[in-house]
Amino acid sequence: MTKIGLEIHCQLTKLESKLFCKCKADYRNLPPNSNTCPTCVGLPGSLPLLNRKAVEKAAMISLALECKIPEKISFFRKNYFYPDLPKNFQITQYNAYGPTSIGSEGKVEIEDKEIRIRRIQLEEDPGRLIYEGSSEKTLITLVDYNRAGTPLVEIVTEPDFETPKQVRIFLNVLADLVENIGVADPYLEGALRVDGNISIVNGNRVEIKNVGSFRDIEKALHFEITRQQSLLDRNIPVQAETRHWDEARKITISARTKEEEQDYRYLPEADIPVVVIDKGIIDELQKQMPEGIIAKRDRYVKKYDIQSQVAQVLSSDKFYADLFEKAHNKTNAKEIANIITTDLMGFADTREKKMELKISTTHISDLADAIINNKITRNSGKLALLEMIKTGKSLSEVISNLDLGHVSDVNSLEQIIDEVFKEEEKAVVEARQNADTVNYLVGKVMRKTKGKADPAITIEIIRKKLSN
Amino acid sequence: MVERKEIEHLGDLVKVELKEPEKYVKQVEQILNYFERLDKVEFNSDKTLKNEIQVKTLREDKHVPYEIEGKPLIKSLRKDQNNFIRAPKMI
Amino acid sequence: MNLGISAIEFLSQVKDETISVEEFVAKTIDRIKKVEDKVHAYITLDDKNALEQAKVIDKKIRTKEKVGSCLGMPISIKDNICTAGLKTTCASKMLENFIAPYDATVVSKLKAEDAIIIGKTNLDEFAMGSTTEFSYFGPTKNPWNTEYVPGGSSGGSGVSVSTHECIISLGSDTGGSVRSPASFCSVVGLKPTYGLVSRYGLVSYANSIEQIGPIARTVEDVAFILNILSGLDVHDNTTIGKGDTDYTKDLDAGVSGKKIGIITQMTTDGIDKEVASATNKAISKLQGLGAECIPISLDAVEHSVAAYYTIASAEASSNLARYDNLRYGFDFGIEGYEFKAYVSKVRGNFGPEVTRRILLGAFVLSAGYYGKYYLKAQKVRAMIKSQLEVAFKKVDVLITPTMPILPYKIGEKIDDPLTLYLSDINTITANLSGIPAISVPFEISSSGFPIGIQLLANTLQEKKLLQAAYALQQTTHLRAMPI
Repeated sequence: MTKIGLEIHCQLTKLESKLFCKCKADYRNLPPNSNTCPTCVGLPGSLPLLNRKAVEKAAMISLALECKIPEKISFFRKNYFYPDLPKNFQITQYNAYGPTSIGSEGKVEIEDKEIRIRRIQLEEDPGRLIYEGSSEKTLITLVDYNRAGTPLVEIVTEPDFETPKQVRIFLNVLADLVENIGVADPYLEGALRVDGNISIVNGNRVEIKNVGSFRDIEKALHFEITRQQSLLDRNIPVQAETRHWDEARKITISARTKEEEQDYRYLPEADIPVVVIDKGIIDELQKQMPEGIIAKRDRYVKKYDIQSQVAQVLSSDKFYADLFEKAHNKTNAKEIANIITTDLMGFADTREKKMELKISTTHISDLADAIINNKITRNSGKLALLEMIKTGKSLSEVISNLDLGHVSDVNSLEQIIDEVFKEEEKAVVEARQNADTVNYLVGKVMRKTKGKADPAITIEIIRKKLSN
Repeated sequence: MVERKEIEHLGDLVKVELKEPEKYVKQVEQILNYFERLDKVEFNSDKTLKNEIQVKTLREDKHVPYEIEGKPLIKSLRKDQNNFIRAPKMI
Repeated sequence: MNLGISAIEFLSQVKDETISVEEFVAKTIDRIKKVEDKVHAYITLDDKNALEQAKVIDKKIRTKEKVGSCLGMPISIKDNICTAGLKTTCASKMLENFIAPYDATVVSKLKAEDAIIIGKTNLDEFAMGSTTEFSYFGPTKNPWNTEYVPGGSSGGSGVSVSTHECIISLGSDTGGSVRSPASFCSVVGLKPTYGLVSRYGLVSYANSIEQIGPIARTVEDVAFILNILSGLDVHDNTTIGKGDTDYTKDLDAGVSGKKIGIITQMTTDGIDKEVASATNKAISKLQGLGAECIPISLDAVEHSVAAYYTIASAEASSNLARYDNLRYGFDFGIEGYEFKAYVSKVRGNFGPEVTRRILLGAFVLSAGYYGKYYLKAQKVRAMIKSQLEVAFKKVDVLITPTMPILPYKIGEKIDDPLTLYLSDINTITANLSGIPAISVPFEISSSGFPIGIQLLANTLQEKKLLQAAYALQQTTHLRAMPI
């Protein structure tokens, strides 16, 4: 039984300012130490000032993950020494003395599996370290505090995941969620960081850290499962340890430094009063919540009569759900949903491919309408879609360029069918008795028309001719 | 009984080099013994004092660059020529 | 020129041009240079700037321009409160060269009222101590007898007011650090309600407890300056606001009909005989003014010293973690060191009292001990507060001697930390509960040492407190400080 749990750090990159001061929340591409103030550098006498929007947005993440939000939240100090930590403590949240972090005991449904959320907390990011000279030999670290104090939401799950695929889907759902709430761009470098812990067949738990992009976590987990399984196959027990993901070699390596049992000496952060989150605030935030995935799925089924499986897949992907919302009208909604989930998603499944799509909402709606109105068969539709994606040309252009027009004109079809009958005399005789052979003849017609013949009309004409 | 080892461990936790740890052993022990009385206090309630603040009173999310006479804060701190802070590496 | 005038008198004399600010400041600087050898109250003297500012203010007064309400009054600031451009050392090697790039809110407020910051005063290192002997720059001495301690940790502040080296000083009070020097130096010292005065710019030692507090020669001066210092501050989320309270209004309302509670636990066992007798005299004086004095028992006081030092040490160990000499500090290169070794080595430069408290703090917060010491200490705080609530339903203010003892000789208790901690027993209650407390100079002992009387009032009841303090001070006629 594979058990995987996650610890995710999401930067609130869309906030204007840091968690405890007015410096810029998004520190990227700024000259070293140009985004600092007495508070985020921890100067003597400085005081933290909690960012209201950070609390509100973190509460919205908690709501989306169905967590309990306490009436009063508070902050703690986690004390340890490190060059990137200007105060040599981190202001964070801590639930050991009571549930005082922004969210706890939530859940999310992934592929029919319930993933429990243990807690959600607000905390500050430390600064960044750069190594002078080659990182192995140098003894000097260069510190840049531009990132120090950037707001983070930490999300910890129970070890409820059973497969790396579930993890990937969850992370995509989470990425979409924070984008939807308008609090973060999860694709910015370093914005969404994931640590995982994994055990197989109830063995020891291995922690995996340092996974750079959140898409790499699936690879890292796959590698770990393989590694652990092969140990077990040789009757070697899996050690409980921390391993680092080596981006370049795509393997996990044992963290050679013995991670000392850190005593963080937590104590309440007295410069930040207990924050009262009354029901009125929660109600206001609820109103601002974007539609949840489940609600969306149900809406697709109810309103557009979309098949539940199609609705499930479509609602789980923000990019395609947004495309659907923009492209559809009452009549073509179901067809568009099919086009997207059956054909389009297969063509462009990664973020890069999605970004490269030359396709617009007009392309999709034109295609759907053409199929509904029998101007083009579904088969041809697939070809047309591929061409539109590659070239961005309009549907009518593509249809004429590739000669994909629907042959539904009875006269032309009759002519083609007569041709086929002449070529397949034996089959014609058989078809009069055997229904399967009729399909064979339909297939021949399709091949002659390069798939453009309207199947329904073709069958009708063939049957008529056969009964004559 | 507070031992020298414990004092050295504490010194390591808070990163303070103790040139004469023995000197602190006795004093810390004496004071900790005095703190022991807290364990014997009978409390009627588990309440602790807490300041509170409403969400609406918290700081607005606005970016305001910090400058001193037009220069960023780093100019007042110990920096190298590229405006980094130099620190020894943690091994 | 009489440099020992009160702030109110100074303002009056400047307004009717009996004295010029420049002259007063110049004479104050002379005075400082004359007595500093004996008392060592100052770490930094900003004489040149002070004189420049004085000239500017005089000009504004002459040309009838708008001038702030302090009219160039020279004020000293404890050296753990940030002043832009002037060193803030906290009397520690760790901040030997530190110049804050910004002013503490209280300093900004004073400057906006045209006060002149004349210098930074000596303290126990990082405000940890009650005798000002733990300063990296050497002790401050009690002007009443320079072989004795002036109290602490705001010893320099207390002395500078006592010796007429300034008119008012700002200190900080975490466990009695404004009131103890006020008592030992025969001046007035107030610890305001927690949250009344902004802590932005006060270098943190125990941030859930400490407050900046004024030291002056009269209660009226304290009321005057409190008007300026107090109020909500956007830089400090723990400030609570005072509305439009004017602390100088009705200051002379008196204590007739008021009820005053004598805290049993602070006026009986272990008190110096002369202190006890002075306290009784003070009580009689107040009775003579029409107040009813009744005993009040606060048995939680028994646990207050242990609770205070547990919490203060815990917070200190965290607040002082940032001093690793990397961003600011003193000269000590990083070459050849690994991170942990470097940080430990530079932090070995904390003095013995700071080191003790950091170690204690680490201990009480370390894994497994939180519930035993720290959490219990916090519950003691709540217990003290609730006992005080009960008391303040019966009385308007409480009274005790500020210090249970007379000043120690310098060096006498420097290796006996626990005894020093225990001498804070009378002052700590106000810090733990957050209520305001003031020390009023009442008597000089037969051995020549000042004895202060402490009054306490409920949260945000500074007006009531100052009225009682004013009434008490009016009954005193103390002899002048000898230097």
